[in-house]
Amino acid sequence: MIWQIDLMVLTLIVFCAFSAVMVKDLLSAAIIFGAYSFLMCLLWTEMGAVDVAFTEAAVGAGVSTIFMIAAIFRTSRSVKHRSRGRRFYKLIGFFAAAVTGMVLLYGQSDFPGWADPNSPASSHLSPYFITHTISDTAVPNIVTSVLADYRGFDTMFETAVIFTAGIAVIFVLRQYRRDQTDVAGTDEVAYQSPIIQTVSRQMVPFIQLFALYVVAHGHHSPGGGFQGGVILGASFILVGLSYDLRSVLKKMGEGPNIIFGNLGVFLYAGIGAVCILLGANFLDYSVLSRILPATDSVMARSHGILGVEIGVAIAVMAIMIAIYVNISSHGKYDKGL
Amino acid sequence: MTTYFIYAGVGLCFLMFLALYRVILGPTAIDRLMGVNVIGTKTTVLLIVIGLIYGRVEMFVDIAIAYALLNFIATVGAARYFQHRKNLCSVGFGLRHKEDKGDTTE
Repeated sequence: MIWQIDLMVLTLIVFCAFSAVMVKDLLSAAIIFGAYSFLMCLLWTEMGAVDVAFTEAAVGAGVSTIFMIAAIFRTSRSVKHRSRGRRFYKLIGFFAAAVTGMVLLYGQSDFPGWADPNSPASSHLSPYFITHTISDTAVPNIVTSVLADYRGFDTMFETAVIFTAGIAVIFVLRQYRRDQTDVAGTDEVAYQSPIIQTVSRQMVPFIQLFALYVVAHGHHSPGGGFQGGVILGASFILVGLSYDLRSVLKKMGEGPNIIFGNLGVFLYAGIGAVCILLGANFLDYSVLSRILPATDSVMARSHGILGVEIGVAIAVMAIMIAIYVNISSHGKYDKGL
Repeated sequence: MTTYFIYAGVGLCFLMFLALYRVILGPTAIDRLMGVNVIGTKTTVLLIVIGLIYGRVEMFVDIAIAYALLNFIATVGAARYFQHRKNLCSVGFGLRHKEDKGDTTE
């Protein structure tokens, strides 16, 4: 922890948070939240949590601002005020925020300090993971082995939560009326900038290659399924922004996209089920050495982690594309942002 | 050498303050967009500087590459928004916002 950079980044974060709340223009608030995300990534990086910082980098720079801009594009850019009873609601909101803040500050006083060597997590759990990860799973990045092996059950349900979010967005927004797509098909095509199209056509293959590297190299460096999946989804969103939504749907149609989303979660849960069929616990990858050629039980756990990371990446990529397409086209799949 | 990199990081943070001034006060959304872009560029460099301070650049360079590849997507998205909607400064004039009395009552 470097206190000089820490102090300045925290000050910047507080300024960003205040201005994002104060500003009335919602598009500006979305843009300020982009800056907030950059600063949070910096804070986590210099606290040493590089995997969390990577997730923040991929989500914050790649998709979250775009989701908000697309939602503002389809709804309204200005905050609507009610003249009657405004002061009363503001008072209630202020009291709720103040009481919650005080309770959180009170609860925070019981926490152990940052990087306290005597805290329960540092004295019981972390030594076990640090000493056993290499001999158990042969994965140098401890975060990856904890995430996908020791705590694999949690991660499976995190994937399921993302999948549920995507399914919910599709259920709420998707409109299947045929006549509206025909009307929208006659609309004029939005202006296509040749500069942006050329640049993004050059960039997209490299972004996707980098995403595959992040998924495959998660054993040795920060990264993994979530980050790689978000970057893969962001490459499709970039195609949708620089060309139009139809070129995304040509590459990744609605049906294949949903199948990919299901397939990712199924791959994760399926690897766990295969472990049951081989006579071990759910997601206990070490028994996979019986069906994988030339692997002992340690390397089987490493390969099992890679398998579930690939499943997570496929699911996250499909859900990111589905959320973007549904929000930006208001569920009509015709004309995007 | 570590001291040098710490000073470099503090200097980059100071430059981020200057960009944040434009982000917070800056009358149209385009100004804010440019400010956030500058902050993103500074973040990319600062990630590498933090990696050099900790002596583990190989762990941090992936995050910097992710920012370098993805930083411009939000800008392209906002440009698309302005192309469709065409009001560069509809309501927000920074924090000195005057409320529109006309259509805001329900």
